[in-house]
Amino acid sequence: MASSQSMERSGGLQFPSLKTVLAVITGVMMLVDLYFIFMVAPTDAVLGHVQRVFYFHVPIAIMSFLAFFVVFIASLMYLFKRSPKWDAFAHASAEVGVIFVTLALITGIIWARPIWNTWWTWEPRLTTTLILWLIYVAYLMVRSYAPTQSKGAIYAAVVGIIGFVDVPIVYYSVVWWRSIHPSPVVGPFAKSDSLDGTMALILLYSFITFVFFFAYMVMERMELRTTEEALGRIRFALRRRGE
Amino acid sequence: MLDLILLSTHLPSSNLPYLFAAFAVSWVILFGYLFYVNRRQHELRKEISRLQTILDQTPEE
Repeated sequence: MASSQSMERSGGLQFPSLKTVLAVITGVMMLVDLYFIFMVAPTDAVLGHVQRVFYFHVPIAIMSFLAFFVVFIASLMYLFKRSPKWDAFAHASAEVGVIFVTLALITGIIWARPIWNTWWTWEPRLTTTLILWLIYVAYLMVRSYAPTQSKGAIYAAVVGIIGFVDVPIVYYSVVWWRSIHPSPVVGPFAKSDSLDGTMALILLYSFITFVFFFAYMVMERMELRTTEEALGRIRFALRRRGE
Repeated sequence: MLDLILLSTHLPSSNLPYLFAAFAVSWVILFGYLFYVNRRQHELRKEISRLQTILDQTPEE
């Protein structure tokens, strides 16, 4: 992932950019994570090997919550300050969040088939997660279909703030309603003995790995947006000269 | 008989294809997204340098 373009020159020496460092750290951490998941984590006595999906499914779902929390904060900041940087941050985080929530749904569906004997059931956790996915897909669509970029940013910020209401609903859904989905293993409603010690440590390591992965993806997406804006400016300059 | 069926469906090895599918889909989506972002970045940079050349050659009015 490191390239000569991503190296910052300083006094004749080349220092890798923050993004390159993050990419390398994430790659190494992910390899170690896979080793832990497949070689160190004990096999669940009841669920079998498929339980290892848990070490990806849970951190991915939590990363989607983190992404939408970032969207919420960045959208608020954008509405107050009207700085395009906050809008770019919210946009990048929302897109990455949609990727994570899509993955949480898909890995959940695949895990459900051998355990619940069905791919999908309209139980509260799955239903509220699907609603969360729809809200943030709508966020991206609102941005795309708005008449101008600034209006799109404002509409999207409103959706990003209101849409965040669904995140705590998704988390508490297994507490508020009787559900086939297991109880939370992290957060305020997690039981202290809900996980074996080794499993809990590997889950924690997976979380940290995905936080790095999330940061890297957001940086990549923000860089792309900067390039898109630069292209927009150059096209505008060309049109003005052509007039 | 029911015990045997339950045992065979819950053997740790019986759900390996699902484990493989879950990880494979995760990698395809995560790296597919990163690949898309990087490819688009590359295309846009090429377009910028092409337009910049045109802009430099176009006289200001």
